[in-house]
Amino acid sequence: MQVSFGAGRKDRTMSGVLILGSGSLIARACASEFASRNYNVYFAGRNKTEAEKLANDFHIRYEIKSSGFEFDATNFGSHKDFINNLFELANDIEYVLIAFGYLGKQEISQENFSEAEKVIDTNLTGVVSVCELIASYFIPKSSGTIAVISSVAGDRGGQSNYIYGSAKAGLSAYLSGLRSRLCKNNIHVLTVKPGFVDTPMTYGMKIPKLLLASPEKVGKDIFKAMLNKKNVIYTPFYWKWIMFIVKLIPESIFKKLKI
Amino acid sequence: MVNFFKAEISGFGKYPKALCKITRPSNPDEIKSSLSNGTSVIPRGLGRSYGDASLNSKGYVVESLLLNKFISFDDRSGVLKCESGVTYNDILKTFVKRGWFPGVTPGTKYVTIGGAIASDVHGKNHHKEGSFSNFLISFKILTADSELLECSREKNSDLFWATVGGMGMTGFITEAEIKLKKITSVFIKNKTLKLKTLEELFEKFEENDDSYIYSVAWIDTIASGADYGRSILYLGNHADKDELPYKTKKSEEIKVNYGRTISIPFEFGFTPLNRLSLKLFNASIYNREKENEDYIHFNRYFYPLDSVLNWNNIYGKNGFVQYQLIVPEENGRTAIDKILHKVVSSGGGSFLAVLKKMGDQEGLLSFPFKGYTLAMDFPVKPGLTDLCRELDKILLDYGGRTYLTKDSILDENTFKKMYDGKWQKWLSVKQKYDPACRFRSELGERIGLCQVF
Ligand SMILES: Cc1cc2nc3c(=O)[nH]c(=O)nc-3n(C[C@H](O)[C@H](O)[C@H](O)COP(=O)(O)OP(=O)(O)OC[C@H]3O[C@@H](n4cnc5c(N)ncnc54)[C@H](O)[C@@H]3O)c2cc1C
Ligand SMILES: NC(=O)c1ccc[n+]([C@@H]2O[C@H](COP(=O)([O-])OP(=O)(O)OC[C@H]3O[C@@H](n4cnc5c(N)ncnc54)[C@H](OP(=O)(O)O)[C@@H]3O)[C@@H](O)[C@H]2O)c1
Repeated sequence: MQVSFGAGRKDRTMSGVLILGSGSLIARACASEFASRNYNVYFAGRNKTEAEKLANDFHIRYEIKSSGFEFDATNFGSHKDFINNLFELANDIEYVLIAFGYLGKQEISQENFSEAEKVIDTNLTGVVSVCELIASYFIPKSSGTIAVISSVAGDRGGQSNYIYGSAKAGLSAYLSGLRSRLCKNNIHVLTVKPGFVDTPMTYGMKIPKLLLASPEKVGKDIFKAMLNKKNVIYTPFYWKWIMFIVKLIPESIFKKLKI
Repeated sequence: MVNFFKAEISGFGKYPKALCKITRPSNPDEIKSSLSNGTSVIPRGLGRSYGDASLNSKGYVVESLLLNKFISFDDRSGVLKCESGVTYNDILKTFVKRGWFPGVTPGTKYVTIGGAIASDVHGKNHHKEGSFSNFLISFKILTADSELLECSREKNSDLFWATVGGMGMTGFITEAEIKLKKITSVFIKNKTLKLKTLEELFEKFEENDDSYIYSVAWIDTIASGADYGRSILYLGNHADKDELPYKTKKSEEIKVNYGRTISIPFEFGFTPLNRLSLKLFNASIYNREKENEDYIHFNRYFYPLDSVLNWNNIYGKNGFVQYQLIVPEENGRTAIDKILHKVVSSGGGSFLAVLKKMGDQEGLLSFPFKGYTLAMDFPVKPGLTDLCRELDKILLDYGGRTYLTKDSILDENTFKKMYDGKWQKWLSVKQKYDPACRFRSELGERIGLCQVF
């Protein structure tokens, strides 16, 4: 029996979106925005089974093409083969969202260099490694969008999370340069700076409810910014103003604050 | 290491509240780690049970919200396999437009499949189609010894029937296989009847029992004297797409997600619901409603309250209790009449009651049996427990009982009388799968189901 419940879904074929760090709730929310508009979604994460499960869920939910891959941001040596194989398999990828990240515990990072290293490797080195490979794939096509989740923590280093903050600061600087280099190739780079988001990364932290955004809200903001080719966004938007003020505080006062 | 955070949480009624350690596993292995260090746990979905069924102040509360993936769907049979944190909202958004609808739905779509199984939820179609378990084929459950068991009517059937309606105390359901039903439009053809007395209402229920799969009545419990028992009966069936009037079809067919939602983001310091405002409110509803037949979008038909998110906040800080009872068909009318009289005369009670006919149910602790169910909201204030105890007494006289997923005040003795013959069987299954009572909730402890064997 033919049932008509609205406009036909498969009326347009859209391009593909690659998500690196598929376990991230923010990434998943953003992927839903794409998928509900018929984009195909490719998930890559450390846990292959979970990435595949997620792809399968998206296939059922949105009737799109979706698959899952194994990917570790800190296994730098594997990146080249991974990107080559992936873009060969999924040649419709036009959008990439890099969402992996690692906050770690500030005290442990201070005492134990290998923790600090992991924070920097995940948030900065891993992104640099993989972004250059993706860029080299997009350049010949003269199209593509790369969005990367940095953080407001990178805008000013404070005592509570400066190892993570410095990695994200490095990341933001890297992205600014990459954007400038790639713009002549018609490749777009988006820097995303979220405030506090309700994901496993912030579980257990004492954050005022009003300042804790949902991953859905942040995912939607990222989606819109990717389509509208924005350069740098704060999400939710009011973090732009919060950070504006935070950056104005004189260093002599700032250094005494428990931020 | 278990990654948890501490927070004061409650059920939908905001009463009672408890400080709990909450974990949010994102895959089944992480659930095992909350089980591995010997403390007690209770699963929690969206916290839409009203009382303390999903609270555990002595160990962990394990939320299913990140386990929310669809696993498979067969578009010939309508069989859906999904993880336990999938919600009605997920299912409706995905499958209504393909012509499928949940077999049974509660009055809100913010309920998880795990929660629907654990409460064996019912809908307006209970008298005809039964509870959630009637559409449940199988599920997987992680039991106290970290074993993942598959349960169905054939396999581990003792655990199947103890888990259905078992309020999360037999294990953590990780995934389930359920059957959806075929629909051809998003509309319900609804018939509204206005009735002046309870007697009339019961007559109409009987009269229309067979011809409508959905039926529910709203009774004004503030109206007294000559108006006592005035009520509105809503009867409905899924509309066929060919019978829809052209205008309806055009205007709303494609709106799977209906309208906007507003939110009441904080608890009122006082409650704006006082007797006078409610009296006016009820009278205006009663007078506005017309006897007629019309086509209603499923969202407005099944989930009218979902358009105001967090509406429970209007009951204020102290919260409220929903008292949902059932009495057997025989003498049921007298019992309902007695109970309503008690509530109306108590003054401070509920302002409306929802009445519905139910059929029999198999789950060991499932709430329904053949009879009449009545649900009322009571704001929490001094004297509430006494009122509930008096109502409990009437229930016991008539062989009735209350619904555990709504409960926060039942005592062990009364519970055991209400569920006599059932709880003993349930406990013997609990003993087999969870002898050390690792799955524990405030509710379970209060009604004597959390003992170490
Ligand atoms: C506005 C409103 C209308 C409602 N209407 C109806 C109705 O018409 N009919 C009806 O029957 N109910 C109704 N309810 C009650 C609701 O359907 C049930 O309480 C349901 O169980 C809530 O599901 P949840 O996902 O929020 O679970 P929670 O409230 O979080 O938990 C409920 C119970 O399920 C257990 N549980 C949750 N997840 C799992 C899991 N993965 N494995 C094992 N156990 C689990 C918990 O331990 C707890 O005992 C209504 C509630 C509201 C707020
Ligand atoms: N939550 C916030 O408040 C907040 C604020 C500002 C910025 N951010 C940034 O937002 C991004 C997404 O984080 P989230 O909030 O969604 O947190 P999340 O749910 O914890 O997600 C982080 C993801 O990164 C993945 N990851 C970590 N190390 C990895 C590695 N070596 N290789 C591949 N994947 C790795 C994790 O994968 P596994 O699933 O395998 O563990 C996890 O899925 C991160 O870059 C984070 O820094 C978050």
